[in-house]
Amino acid sequence: MRQWLAGPSALLGLLALAALTAVFILPIIWMVTTSFQAGEKMFQLTTEWIPSVWHPENYPNAMGRAAFPLFFRNSVIVSAAVMVGNLVFCTLAGYGLAKYRFPGAKLLLLLILSTLMLPLEVTLVPTFLVIHKLGWVNSLQGIAGPLLIDAFGVFLMRQFILKIPTDYLEAARIDGAGELRILWKIVLPQCRPVLAVLALLAFRDSWDQFLWPLAVVSHDDYRTYPLGLVRFGEDYGNPPTEQMAIAVLATIPVFLLFLLLQRALRSGFGLSGLKG
Amino acid sequence: MNTSPASDDAMLARPDTGMTRREVIGRLAALGAGAAVAAAPRRVAAQPAKAPMKLTFWTWENPQQRPWLHKRITQYTEKHPNIKVDFQWFTFTDLGKKVSVGYATGTAPDGFTTGDWLMPTWLARNLIAPLDVKQLGYPSVDAFRKDHADAFIAGAIQDGKVYGYPIWFYGFCNYLNTKQFKEVGLDPERDQPQTYAQLGEVAKRLTIKQGNKFARQGFKFAMHAPQWTMIQFNPIVVQSGGQWFDKAGKCTINNEAGVRAMTVRASIARQYGAEDPADSIATAPLPQMDWLKERCAMFSCHPIPPVAIKSQNPAMEAEGYYRPVQLPGVTADKRYSTCYGFNFVINANAPKDKQEVLHDMYRFVMSDLVDCWQATAPFTLARKSGWTDDPRVKSFPHVQEIIRAKDQGVFFPRTPVWNELADAMHRAVQKVMLNNADIKVALDEAAAEVDRATAEFKKS
Amino acid sequence: MSSIPGATARSLSARAPLRWPLHYRLRIQLWGVGFVLPTVLFFLVFKYGPMLWAMGLSFTSYDMMKTPRFVGVENYASLSRDPIFIQALLNTLVYIAGSTVFITAVGLGLALAINNRGRGRRLCLAGMFLTNIMPIVAVCLVWRFLFHPHGLINQILSPLGVGRIDWLTDSATAMPAIIGVTVWRFAPYFMVVFLAGLLAIPREYYEAAAIDGAGVLRRFRSITLPLLMPVTFFVVVVAALLSARIFLMPFLITGGGPGGATRVLSMLIYETGFSYMKMGRAAAISVVLFAIAMVFTIIQMRLFARNEEDAAA
Repeated sequence: MRQWLAGPSALLGLLALAALTAVFILPIIWMVTTSFQAGEKMFQLTTEWIPSVWHPENYPNAMGRAAFPLFFRNSVIVSAAVMVGNLVFCTLAGYGLAKYRFPGAKLLLLLILSTLMLPLEVTLVPTFLVIHKLGWVNSLQGIAGPLLIDAFGVFLMRQFILKIPTDYLEAARIDGAGELRILWKIVLPQCRPVLAVLALLAFRDSWDQFLWPLAVVSHDDYRTYPLGLVRFGEDYGNPPTEQMAIAVLATIPVFLLFLLLQRALRSGFGLSGLKG
Repeated sequence: MNTSPASDDAMLARPDTGMTRREVIGRLAALGAGAAVAAAPRRVAAQPAKAPMKLTFWTWENPQQRPWLHKRITQYTEKHPNIKVDFQWFTFTDLGKKVSVGYATGTAPDGFTTGDWLMPTWLARNLIAPLDVKQLGYPSVDAFRKDHADAFIAGAIQDGKVYGYPIWFYGFCNYLNTKQFKEVGLDPERDQPQTYAQLGEVAKRLTIKQGNKFARQGFKFAMHAPQWTMIQFNPIVVQSGGQWFDKAGKCTINNEAGVRAMTVRASIARQYGAEDPADSIATAPLPQMDWLKERCAMFSCHPIPPVAIKSQNPAMEAEGYYRPVQLPGVTADKRYSTCYGFNFVINANAPKDKQEVLHDMYRFVMSDLVDCWQATAPFTLARKSGWTDDPRVKSFPHVQEIIRAKDQGVFFPRTPVWNELADAMHRAVQKVMLNNADIKVALDEAAAEVDRATAEFKKS
Repeated sequence: MSSIPGATARSLSARAPLRWPLHYRLRIQLWGVGFVLPTVLFFLVFKYGPMLWAMGLSFTSYDMMKTPRFVGVENYASLSRDPIFIQALLNTLVYIAGSTVFITAVGLGLALAINNRGRGRRLCLAGMFLTNIMPIVAVCLVWRFLFHPHGLINQILSPLGVGRIDWLTDSATAMPAIIGVTVWRFAPYFMVVFLAGLLAIPREYYEAAAIDGAGVLRRFRSITLPLLMPVTFFVVVVAALLSARIFLMPFLITGGGPGGATRVLSMLIYETGFSYMKMGRAAAISVVLFAIAMVFTIIQMRLFARNEEDAAA
């Protein structure tokens, strides 16, 4: 398709694309640049894309105004657990549903997919009661628990694993390989791109959670950063520029994961087909 | 008997002994003496259990008040090493919700602070325990009643039993930027608005507009949260001769008086063009920020600690070009605001021994009111005795004005559907102020909402 | 490997191995059950259990303190008469429709724009994808400032002769503003999905069409669009499901205001349950929201089942 356009028109197109990209990135740049501004700048509501005076001290100041190191640590623990949980269980379930033809497999798949209509926002209250029955109110496992497996991840893995030729698996079976070994040695290595997609989405979704931790946590020791970030704005005299600094810091972990997985993601998004 | 040292009782007034005793106490306090008032005869004296005990206690966040509470509770646990208190705090708006959910799941704290407007919500569901005023150092409920602000009494006493122990109660003042007053040739003393009509005129003079942008708003009503909407609208309703509910419990905010009140509320923007309800720098929920940053010349606000002013506007604090005065009234003789505050309460489900320790802890926390004042001034206390005579209180800038606002203030309607009422009114104000809705229609909708909520509450 | 998923697998997976002894096959199947079982149990505990619980609660009056009292369909009847609920329901539907349409349109537009350009493409793609990486709380805080009457958006618009717009406080613009933020956030993600679909269209089709003299528009209409249909359906359904659960954006950006203009069902659930302590009523609203989400889930299942049949055929 590239040959459609060439020369000046291609350049023009690229410029248009760059402008389009700018529209999407501008708010992010605004966030970053604002986080280095003096607190007063925010109240004047003028936009100064490059701060005339840089205020990197916004960052340590903001971190010191509440237990943000602790909140970030909690968020990392929860999100990492959710990521690992999704990687493990979505792979297992996806593999089981894609490559084993036991009776009721279809039904189970539908049962799992149906949970897409039951997001946490809908079942907030009863899920809270379940967590309470488990004695997990005010704990990190209470935040992570209901997020450990996502139906979309199962679906993603199943669709991907379907494409792996069954012949490979049978050949391995003939060679006497156990089922776990087949999963580990044959299936998983081919799943790398889709696992990268799953890891990023699972981590990001858990990293973003606000309502659920708000409901389940009432103790500073277990608060995650979104709770701290919102509360930060309600506390007297906390400069919005420092709030932006926390927002920037909160972007970094997902961004790092994105960079880390970038190569795998590129093929992952292309191949997973994300399609029903 | 009581294991806490006598000095705990130093500031604890015993109102039944009349004025002379109170004066004595005042003088004692003035001297800063640790002299003890003989402990009131307590038949059921608080007897903190010697066995290890873990209490949970929740409060709301405020940069002065929360740390002081924390300090006092820590002091208490240092005195009683067998007692541990898990002290947690939430934003102003989250605390009530967190406590509700806590009750639902049996994770509610043993003790917590609550806004006086929420007392009927807890009481209607039997969630909080009656307090024994004797354990708090008062000989009788009547004595206790006489020592506290009306707004407190109206929410915390039911069927002759006391359910809350008040901490801070305060009214709103009109905070003037005196520099800006002088700038436009107004005298902050003589020209301070006495009525809302005058407020409109003064605000108009103080307003500076650049095209469709207000460089400075003359006056500003908060638009940020239901609670602020209620605090600022409530006195105007009362002054207009309105009432929130009739005897049968029907919401009457949409009657003529209610419409008059909302017309007054809307006039600063609609009639005088002296405020821009859609424009606030405080996209964060701190409406007073506009006044602190001198983008609005007058603001109706709770007592503002000088440290808070200093942190946002050092010049204003240092040069002292601000001053709180009584809010205007619908007429000049009705210059009062809403008085509201916070109570200590005890979870009805807490075991008896914990309840007793909480009594003792609350009494200890509130036993040094001057210390409280010094840490949290000018947030005024609900207690009448034990602090106002102290020189450190008396010498505080503008203190008389702030105390008067508390004493004159009218309190909120007492209703178990408070949250529904506040949300409905907040929406009505938004419709009127931001979307130019018809006042009567907006109030009709709000009243209907509140009536539906009341009907449902009665059913359950 | 770049073809439509399922296509390559279809012939292979259909050939179920029959040459193994029965007990051996059973054992293998048991492994499969074992792999799926933890996930199923998990969903029973954390999804179906709570859902049934909510359904049960929705027929009760429950203030969280006393035991729930059975009231039949009273909660639903009362909701149907409540203008606040109806407003929130309409807001939710408008929001779902608006975000879904624009997410799909913008996502497809971006994918086409990126697909056709050579150099710099990858960088633009990564750049746009950043909107997905930013924490959602940060997104809300930033846009709240950008939409301020004197904020960046109006600053940019004013030289174009656009007067002051009170984005978040005018009931006419508040919902479009929230939808705008949603599109900004999610369109780049679905752009990537569309790109995958575009890549799967064999280039020969275009070349053949070009030889036949078909113009750009014509090629788009007769090749790209029909072949992208399945992906588009997928995007529509997933975007709708995402929109149905929206909470944080209105909660943090407008607080549901002005006058309830952006209050959606998830916010109403939260308020009714946690602020008004009417758990039965909140559960009934949950069931309504659940029913909305179910419509899209069923559509997705249908698409999915059809696809499976195609694959099996």
